[in-house]
Amino acid sequence: MPRVRIPPAELSSPPPAGYRRPVATFRLQGSKVLAVDVTGDAVRAKNGSMVAYEGRMAFKKMSGGGEGLRGMVTRRLTGEQMEVMEVRGQGTCYFADRASDVTVLALHGDKLCVEASNLLCSDGGLRTGTTFTGLRGGAGGTGLFTTTVEGSGQVAITSDGPAVVLRVTPRYPLSVDPGAYVAHQGDLRQSFQSGVTFRTLLGEGGGEAFQIRFEGDGLVYVQPSERNTVGGDV
Amino acid sequence: MNASAVHDPSTLPSDDNVNPYTFCVDLKGSRWFLQKGKMIAYYGDVSFQGVGHGALDRLVRTSFHSPMHAGDWVVAEGSGKMLLADRAFDVNSYDLDEGNLTVRSGNLLAFEPSLSLKQSIVPGFLTLIGTGTFVAASNGPVVFMEPPIRVDPQALVGWADCPSPCHHYDHAYLSGVLGGLRALTGIGGASGEEHQFEFVGAGTVLLQSSEALLPERGTGTVPHEPGVPGGGAPHPGHGSGQGSHGSAPRLPGQLGDLQRRFGL
Repeated sequence: MPRVRIPPAELSSPPPAGYRRPVATFRLQGSKVLAVDVTGDAVRAKNGSMVAYEGRMAFKKMSGGGEGLRGMVTRRLTGEQMEVMEVRGQGTCYFADRASDVTVLALHGDKLCVEASNLLCSDGGLRTGTTFTGLRGGAGGTGLFTTTVEGSGQVAITSDGPAVVLRVTPRYPLSVDPGAYVAHQGDLRQSFQSGVTFRTLLGEGGGEAFQIRFEGDGLVYVQPSERNTVGGDV
Repeated sequence: MNASAVHDPSTLPSDDNVNPYTFCVDLKGSRWFLQKGKMIAYYGDVSFQGVGHGALDRLVRTSFHSPMHAGDWVVAEGSGKMLLADRAFDVNSYDLDEGNLTVRSGNLLAFEPSLSLKQSIVPGFLTLIGTGTFVAASNGPVVFMEPPIRVDPQALVGWADCPSPCHHYDHAYLSGVLGGLRALTGIGGASGEEHQFEFVGAGTVLLQSSEALLPERGTGTVPHEPGVPGGGAPHPGHGSGQGSHGSAPRLPGQLGDLQRRFGL
């Protein structure tokens, strides 16, 4: 089948040499386990996702997702709670979550939006926060808020089944089922598409009544499985 | 494998798998039947309409003959590339050439309208007849077997060209009251494999490599007619036609099907 491979360097490489801070390198051990090599630096990972480690590691629970008091309050208020631990040490640490598939991606100063439950691990130098998603989250059954990751470094996200990475360009907008959406990165506008007509009310709906439409320039990560959504069977 | 391939409409395959769990349908002004909620993303201009939409009457007349399942299916129409997936199950496409294939209703994701869909006589299964492509899901890769073969009911995905799918019970059910009780209650040890589906004759049987089933879609009931299998349980006192020897109303406390095992 025709398939263009982006050289791995573009997607998941550690930040360029000359970077002062020691940087953790993320790699995949199989498709469901993430291995992170750390040399004295720190990564943030979902609480309790460590499955094994080699070397010396210290695990520290970070209240409120490591975003300080303000982050803690915001997360409590928005329901986008994230149990995060900081992993620091020398060696290799392995992370996994419910045998879900892991995708490693690199941020170069751009922003990634991901559900808190799908965020497995991020470089210690990245900033995380919460943002309002509008109707998209409401229909996706994932809440009205989502987690953002900004900065430069590597991030690992989880998905039910290997995620498909879809590129959005101004020429090719993309529509995604809210239940299959995992994350997106880049400069994307999202709008909410609804195909609800009077037929839906008569019980003859199209079955795909709600979609998120992405326009702009960026990447969208989609999982080959659907969460139960409010609009799922309409 | 790292998901390092970034796809856009020009690199997505045309009517082929993107990865073992995702299938890409290339719509060029054509139509596809698709089970509700199996579309995960699409590029381009695609619309989804429920079966029963007025404009689709002709299409439905020629290729959709299952009133029971009509509520679960939609027609995708337009141009663009559409990705299908289901609960991270393996997804495969199959080409039928003037053939017929019967598949578990929950496993069928989509089919071309050049095929026609009918309900199988075996409850919970759908039969596709004609020429064209369809997409089905399975938990683990599909294994193709030649009859004669006996298969575990949970591992069965479907079959092609086989004239005789039937139930097979192991001999133990005959061996007295204790055998019946054992099979019924599991006390004293039941292997859980006393019941199989048996296929003989020419054809192909499709099996999945696990016993996890896709949840059955709520399909309603077939018309309540004499001679239609699965047409609802015969109601006590209403025993018209269903039970061949006039099923007597069941007394409270009566042991289910044990009576039949002993020919009572």
